[in-house]
Amino acid sequence: MDEAFIPFSALLAKIAAFEGEIYDKEEGVHSYINRFEIETPIEIDVYRDEDGKIQLGVVPPLYRVDTTIEPSYHNIRFSAEISET
Amino acid sequence: MENKAWNLEDFVDSLVVELDKTRETLSIKAINKPLTYTVKDMAMDLNIFPTFDGDQVKFITAQPGQQGASKVTIQLGSITDQQVRATTKPLQKDDVSISEIEVDKDTQKELRKMGVNSIDDLEQIENKNVNIEKATGAKINYNNILNQLKKVKRNNNPPVVKSVSLSLFDDQSPYLSIKGNNLGVNKLFKPVAVLNDSLAEVTEHNSNEIKIKLSKQHNIESNNDLVLTLDPYAIVKLNVKV
Repeated sequence: MDEAFIPFSALLAKIAAFEGEIYDKEEGVHSYINRFEIETPIEIDVYRDEDGKIQLGVVPPLYRVDTTIEPSYHNIRFSAEISET
Repeated sequence: MENKAWNLEDFVDSLVVELDKTRETLSIKAINKPLTYTVKDMAMDLNIFPTFDGDQVKFITAQPGQQGASKVTIQLGSITDQQVRATTKPLQKDDVSISEIEVDKDTQKELRKMGVNSIDDLEQIENKNVNIEKATGAKINYNNILNQLKKVKRNNNPPVVKSVSLSLFDDQSPYLSIKGNNLGVNKLFKPVAVLNDSLAEVTEHNSNEIKIKLSKQHNIESNNDLVLTLDPYAIVKLNVKV
């Protein structure tokens, strides 16, 4: 896998790793994000590992400027909900 | 970076594995952090170039600078274990998978394409009088496969003879009683008995017992050869001492 890329599962886990609590100290009110949906362009590296299994490496857009060769952006959308523990 | 060509099945498999890994990671985190999210649904729009090599359709993801790619959207939703159980038909205990028989890979592939994975699937099609060869245009020797599957199924449940005894019917005529397991299991086939090279009448048969009527023509002596064809896939040879 290209070193700029990370496993697909790692990207999803990183995106979903924010603190969904909004706390208003003055009012003493806690608000929570119950559900979120994210859509983002990504670059994908599809490769085979040593066992011949398909693996997915992904990375969000690396450059925010026009480049001579335009990257091919794929797209992912996913939703996540607070898990009940 | 050079992308590799993949088929959809492999790609979706790895996507599902990745999604499972994400869920596991997040569920571990949820042990200590009560505010943790679980991924519910996911969709992926891919820019791909399909290729067909005469056998399989494969895809390769578009690389930087490549134009004119097709778009494929893969959507993975969450379903409960209960839904999985309701929509998945597990292989029954006495069923036989088509991977257990000696058929070439092309035939196996054709069968799988039609959703046939086991002898039960094939029998269901047979019961509906569907001619697979005509319906699909696939060159499949359907009867041969069904026979092979039945043979494997029978091999998994072989007949076992536990005892042979001589008894009398109510009319005082003699008969041989063969007792055991998995004897007359084929409802469509009546066992055939040949005793000392002479055909003998099977009067009763079930899984645990077979009764064979004896007559003078069988020349019963101290050593007797009994050949019992239980069904097309099970023949038992016995030496019966009287």
